[in-house]
Amino acid sequence: MGSVPGLQADCEELLGAFQQADTVRFERFAELWRERRFHAIFYGRIRALERNKLTKKTLELAQQYFLPPYAFQIRVGALYLLYGLYNTQLCQPKQKIRIALKDWPEIQRFQQDLIDSQHYDAAYIFRTLRLARAFHFTAMPKLLNYRTKKKIQENEFKEEFKDPSNRVNSLITNDVLEELMNIHDHYQKMKCVISTDKSQPDKALSLIKDEFVITLKDITLEHQEWQQNRMKLFLNAKETDEIPNQKEEATLLESEGSERANALARIKYRSYSAVVEASKSRRHRQVKLESSESGSNFGKSPSRNKKNSRRLQPAKRRDAVEIKVAKETVTRHIGMPIITEEENLDEE
Amino acid sequence: SIDVLMSSDKEKDPDVIPEDSSLLTLRIRKKALERREETIIVDRACRQETLAYEMESHAIGKRPDNPADLVEEGELLLTLNIFYPVIFQKHKDHKPYQTVLVLGSQKLTELRDSISCVSDLQIGGEFSSQPDQAPEHISKDLYKSAFFYFEGIFYNDKRYPECRDLSRTIIEWSESHDRGYGSLQSAKMEDYTFNDLSVKIGFPYLFCHQGNCEHIVIITDIRLIHHDDCLDRNLYPLLIKKHWLCTRKCFVCKMYTARWVTNNDSLAPEDPCFFCDVCFRMLHYDAEGNKLGEFLAYPYVDPGIFN
Repeated sequence: MGSVPGLQADCEELLGAFQQADTVRFERFAELWRERRFHAIFYGRIRALERNKLTKKTLELAQQYFLPPYAFQIRVGALYLLYGLYNTQLCQPKQKIRIALKDWPEIQRFQQDLIDSQHYDAAYIFRTLRLARAFHFTAMPKLLNYRTKKKIQENEFKEEFKDPSNRVNSLITNDVLEELMNIHDHYQKMKCVISTDKSQPDKALSLIKDEFVITLKDITLEHQEWQQNRMKLFLNAKETDEIPNQKEEATLLESEGSERANALARIKYRSYSAVVEASKSRRHRQVKLESSESGSNFGKSPSRNKKNSRRLQPAKRRDAVEIKVAKETVTRHIGMPIITEEENLDEE
Repeated sequence: SIDVLMSSDKEKDPDVIPEDSSLLTLRIRKKALERREETIIVDRACRQETLAYEMESHAIGKRPDNPADLVEEGELLLTLNIFYPVIFQKHKDHKPYQTVLVLGSQKLTELRDSISCVSDLQIGGEFSSQPDQAPEHISKDLYKSAFFYFEGIFYNDKRYPECRDLSRTIIEWSESHDRGYGSLQSAKMEDYTFNDLSVKIGFPYLFCHQGNCEHIVIITDIRLIHHDDCLDRNLYPLLIKKHWLCTRKCFVCKMYTARWVTNNDSLAPEDPCFFCDVCFRMLHYDAEGNKLGEFLAYPYVDPGIFN
């Protein structure tokens, strides 16, 4: 009763290709879809009961990509994916897409964004889904089921799909900057008023840098650019590293937070090729791993263990600082801030 | 125009997985199918599966004959799991349950009436000496009290004069010492609809009837009613999933469902022993209806009676 095997990999692969294509046009998505003949995902002689369940799970998985914190492009891709899956499903009557009430305002905002940025094809597709009554409006996003699972599966989603968690940007927004500018002007005027020379403030009153608002804005922009560059670097690093060392032992796992961050960013399809038996034998080793990361990845341990460290060491030293930030974002997404990790980062 | 882009050009058979698929999902599925073919495992729908599918989908899209019975837009649909009270050893990991859909505007009493529990049908009393006089009235008629427990409030069924307030004992007990349960209150079941309640999804609540037959009730989903759902109000609460319980057959003929159970039976090989009506009479009574041997006999209602 768990998830559909291979489905997450396929969806992520499609969305990844869409992200690489760097466009939000539906034609592009449709091409990628046709290339992979995604509509066949429901084929395979499945009987009615099983098919209903399968379709429900598929739609649920695709729906998760539709909501924040994913990047804008990924969300548009998820919208197209939902449209495709909804229309090509074989169930009769069609299974619906579940949207929780709390997510609905967010989605409406998303649609407004689409219209404002003139992505009319995406907006049209959303409207079509609405008109076709493709949504169930529910209280909770996930339908509960009550089987005791041997492992609680937490979905680890691709790091690249997520918007770089832009705390700096969300703090220093345009509104904030405008407000700061206003206050700054007001302050300057006040200083002028109380000084002897009405045109400019006294020298004794100059306690702050005059240009600080502009400097702040520049710094923020710089940070944003740097973050984007770092993401690109990440992607490049991933592509160069193609040889998985599956049998390597994890000796220095805890001490090298940065390496783990790198490996975390690679929790992908390799987990499917990873040796499952190894996970059972190494279960005792993985206990530490699980507790600090997210709670279950029994099948994924060897892939995480593979260090690729020798080859990437020089690159890693260089990126150490940047990966530190990535690590923070990663742990934040998984949602379990660990004190020990912070210490490691401090050491670095 | 947009739809055309999506579907394939050629007519493909949905049963056949295309050979050169790049999708991991399909590759895995294909492997499973091939393995089945190699080992000649035939995968057909067993009758339980057909029943389950039928139950789930039999009411989809139904419309009432009488327009007054139409479910309104904006109505809430709740999905409840009601667990069986039986505690068999094999049910340790996952307790069997039935799933019921109710409308938000329905009263709690309607749900209570729709819950079918085997303990309602029990007939009390020992009838070895007078097997023909097993009374007709069942426990459901005799003991009509029941209550629901949601969020600190007991909703008692007070429709009939013989219904007692079963929750009073619990409320008195919790108030006698400071047991840390806060204040528990009592209310009438028939005055409340589901819309009036504030509930938690996934939290276990209780339904108790017959004094000590307790069912756990869990609300798994709340959503707005949809165009494709069953819109006939009379069909709600709607049962969509039921656990299949195997019925106990008669020890002698192994064909009919057991209707009698005997204890301390000198004529029976085991204690307790189950018999269908015919075998019971043939074994324990002679041609004139005299009781043969020593035994205690009780009418038996099998939990699988609702299959």
